[in-house]
Amino acid sequence: MKKTLAVMACCVGAAIATLSSASAAREGAGSAAATPGVTKSSIVIGGTFPLSGPVSGYAPIARGMEAYFNYVNNRKGPDGKTGIRGRKIVWKYYDDAYNPANTVQLTNKLVLEDKVFAIVGTLGTEDNQAIRPFLNERKIPQLFVSTGASYWGLQYKQFPWTIGWQPDYIAEGRAYGQWIAKNSPNAKIAVFYQNDDYGKDYLRGVKIGLGAKKSLIVSELSYEVTDTSYASQIARQKASGADTWVLLTTAGTPTVRAIATAKALNWKPNTLVINSVAATDAVMAAVVDRVGADFVSGAISSAYLKNVSNPKYANDPAVKQYRALLAKYGPSGADSNNGFYYYGVAKAYDTAKVLFNAGKNPTRASLMRAALNMNWTNPYAIKGVKDKTTRSDHFPLSQIKLARYTNGTFTEFGPLIKGR
Amino acid sequence: MIARAALIALRLLPVAVTVVLVVLIGQRAGEFRLDEFTYVAIYFAALLGLNMLTGYNGQISLGHGAFMCIGAYVAAVAVLGRPGLALYGHHPPDWLPVGDGMRPVFTIPLAFVLTGAVGFLFGIPALRLAGVSLALATFAMAVSLPAIAKKFENVTGGGGGVNLPLPHTPFGWDISTKRWLYYEAWGVAAVLFVLSWLLVRGRVGRAWRAIRDREVAATASGVSPAVYKTLAFAVSSAFAGAAGALLAIQVSYVNPDTFPISLSVLLLASVVIGGLGSLSGALFGALLYEFLPIYAQEPPLVHFAFGKQAPAVVFGVLLILIMYALPGGFAGAIRRMFAPLTRFLRERQNTREPILEPARRGEA
Amino acid sequence: MLAFTWPEFFQQITSGLASGAIYASLALALVLIYRATDVINFAQGEMATFTTYIAWMLMQHGLPYWPAFVLTLVIAFAGGFAIERVVIRPVENRPEIVIVIVTIGMLIAINGLTGWIWGSEVKAFDSPFPNRTVDVAGVAISLQDVGTFCVCLATVLVLWLFFRFTTLGLAMRAAAVNPGASRLLGVRVGWMLAIGWGLAAALGAVAGMMAAPTTFLDPNMMLVILIYAFAAAVLGGIDSPVGAVVGGLTLGVLVNLLGRYVAFVGEELRLPTALAILLTVLVIRPQGLFGHAVVRRV
Repeated sequence: MKKTLAVMACCVGAAIATLSSASAAREGAGSAAATPGVTKSSIVIGGTFPLSGPVSGYAPIARGMEAYFNYVNNRKGPDGKTGIRGRKIVWKYYDDAYNPANTVQLTNKLVLEDKVFAIVGTLGTEDNQAIRPFLNERKIPQLFVSTGASYWGLQYKQFPWTIGWQPDYIAEGRAYGQWIAKNSPNAKIAVFYQNDDYGKDYLRGVKIGLGAKKSLIVSELSYEVTDTSYASQIARQKASGADTWVLLTTAGTPTVRAIATAKALNWKPNTLVINSVAATDAVMAAVVDRVGADFVSGAISSAYLKNVSNPKYANDPAVKQYRALLAKYGPSGADSNNGFYYYGVAKAYDTAKVLFNAGKNPTRASLMRAALNMNWTNPYAIKGVKDKTTRSDHFPLSQIKLARYTNGTFTEFGPLIKGR
Repeated sequence: MIARAALIALRLLPVAVTVVLVVLIGQRAGEFRLDEFTYVAIYFAALLGLNMLTGYNGQISLGHGAFMCIGAYVAAVAVLGRPGLALYGHHPPDWLPVGDGMRPVFTIPLAFVLTGAVGFLFGIPALRLAGVSLALATFAMAVSLPAIAKKFENVTGGGGGVNLPLPHTPFGWDISTKRWLYYEAWGVAAVLFVLSWLLVRGRVGRAWRAIRDREVAATASGVSPAVYKTLAFAVSSAFAGAAGALLAIQVSYVNPDTFPISLSVLLLASVVIGGLGSLSGALFGALLYEFLPIYAQEPPLVHFAFGKQAPAVVFGVLLILIMYALPGGFAGAIRRMFAPLTRFLRERQNTREPILEPARRGEA
Repeated sequence: MLAFTWPEFFQQITSGLASGAIYASLALALVLIYRATDVINFAQGEMATFTTYIAWMLMQHGLPYWPAFVLTLVIAFAGGFAIERVVIRPVENRPEIVIVIVTIGMLIAINGLTGWIWGSEVKAFDSPFPNRTVDVAGVAISLQDVGTFCVCLATVLVLWLFFRFTTLGLAMRAAAVNPGASRLLGVRVGWMLAIGWGLAAALGAVAGMMAAPTTFLDPNMMLVILIYAFAAAVLGGIDSPVGAVVGGLTLGVLVNLLGRYVAFVGEELRLPTALAILLTVLVIRPQGLFGHAVVRRV
């Protein structure tokens, strides 16, 4: 015990002392620059993503963005210069393992050490919620968050430096509710949702869409991300006699597991509705592998981006260009049919565009102005979907189309549905 | 005489060096370094507690994150109070003394006391458990608490969590917020350090170690394992609670995802790597906890093997390599480094230290 | 909510048994390593996932199910053996907690490696059992679940026979109980430990391959199952294979029934409540249901 206080920290000492004085010195030097993250030759932007841990399935988003930014850095822009008006985009992203505490710390690192110009695309509703006050207090743009909670767009008066990107979950859920109310007005609906704000937002939307027909819901049960089996809940939903099943799950395992469980329980609802985040062709292919095509054919979902793996888009110029740039600038072995790379690329497209529109000498304020003055068509989005924002509309993408699963792929149908 | 003075100096030196470094960083470091070292202080506080339980008393806890979780929620709820929670549409039941919000810094002692009480209550049934059963019991805490926090959303804010008001320097002091948070965290850590030092060097510490090394013999000589084991649980949870409160203030956001199982598991790994049964080990553990995961994602570490694809691989492999390289953790390694000097001084002093510690397995 | 019906009650039990069988298989692997080395191998689940991916890869290369199954077991055994010799050996004589930390390091590294090699996109995994469900008096029983259940029971039986009636099994038990004396009797204790790890890895591979058809293949498929397996193993008595199986099945059923029939617990607090009940059992009987009480030496 007497040894307990034995020498510590001596060796660390010198190192830290140099470190701290060095960073203090750097701070002094840095304050001369006009806008953090912008130099003559580069623009530094960054975000945090779950690169490891239970939801690392979303990691391709960050890498898709990386591929697109690399592409931008090597192509000539509208002004004939490479990158953004001759500046290279430096894309820094860290692994927060989907833990908001990590998101806060790493965003601090991005802001205070890497001196990013803006935070872009950080993934996760709670994760973005955790950093929002800090970024807004410091007037740092929090652009195009990778989550569809509705409040990114709604609370702009309180948080003017934050802006969402994709159509929000409530709007999407509402579209499903309306579709069911219209197409099967006597349905008995079972809703299976993830027990968090994400799942609950969707559920709220479905109920809004059903309107007066809300009572058609005969069973609403949730699952936890930590559940290893959903058999208990789904056995209950089967026993409820429902014929329409609304799955509000997350991509990958929960979706496939839920459907495989229903099949194992001999339950085959007539109508299946799956939210867009969950319903990718790859996920459905895994389902079909195990339970056969008949269970999921005709399933309803929705889309706002082109479905990369749909043969319909095989010759689409934007999709072809996406595949080429992912092959050239993406991580080796990246599967271009994975919709999350595509999502990342589509988001990076808009990012590059607002960076360009922020002007010759971009500032954080001019970037925000550019982000609130979007009015174009993202080539990666489905036809007719507009990228549009105004000072009072903080929802860049807000239109969706319903999509139906046939012949191994989701194909959109019907009119564009306005989310806002 | 000189040798004796040198020995004392050698023992006080690390504390002095640490204090000087902490102050130096506090004075000179930029915002980001301050931020990083604030986290070090927070984990230091938590690991001091865990070290008393696991290192000094030999009870393995795979659930210390759960106690941090309690502390953090105590702080968050106390800071927000009823009016703050109402903004999120949450209304705690009337019987719960939630209050109307308080200054963040005052929630730290509150979290210390309340979490300590929970730890005490948990420690009573845990008395019956040892080894893997105890590991499971604590692990179960870590698994369950986030789910419970999610369920009782009218108090905790549920899965969506709650933002605390952004921290600001209180009492009109003229220092930047980051600097204030830094000094606040290190202030708390210092108090807890002194507290744990007083505990482990005295009667309590002797009893803990006796129980760890020879429980039956300790009982025979009149030390009550029940009393001291529950005390260890209570004290170490109280420390974790204070650390949790600091974390909530620092992050200014809490939700169940903030306290994943991996937090508990990595806390245990850090305390072992830092050095079990050594207060300085907690500091090394804290440095490691803070810096290893971040730097596992960064050049030059990533480029030597896996690239950005797999930060976890780098981190896991480093963890294993450190365990190989440093038996007895960092603290043990440094102790061994200085062993010849201390031995030399002790011989000069010509008085043998009373041997309190029986040989410990795995420690040099 | 929904009224009580007997078919649904039995449905909840059968589904619980099906997931319980998976917990039991992984719990068995934990028990095996615990008996040999006195540590909980936290990387057990990740090792299982990794080997299941290997099986998947073999099948992608056109190997039929059973050859791929057997080959995977062999690879898993070799892998487990190698891990003991290469990774665990250097810390073999260090305190248990050090070995535990090393297995935690492996958990993190192997999980990262799996994601890195195979990506995190979910994959379907074939099952050797027919993908059909039979209806018994209103209770749907999937043949996949029945198969998993039988494999789980068969594994326990084989293990029991192995430890009971083979010389190698005896030597392994001896090496675990009293390494010093075994060494004197000519048992190569180090090899026995490595074989123990190899067997555990193979068992884990079985668990993974049985789980994957229903949980689907995903780098994190075993992270949570490991928690259940850990709980099941301790509930059963950490050194008892039979206990692990009983523990796993009990936990599977308990979680289902609690979630379905106790309104307060609902779907959200199933796991915490099950763990709380389990801990209560442990407080009453610290050595677990089938474990042996440890006699303390002074």
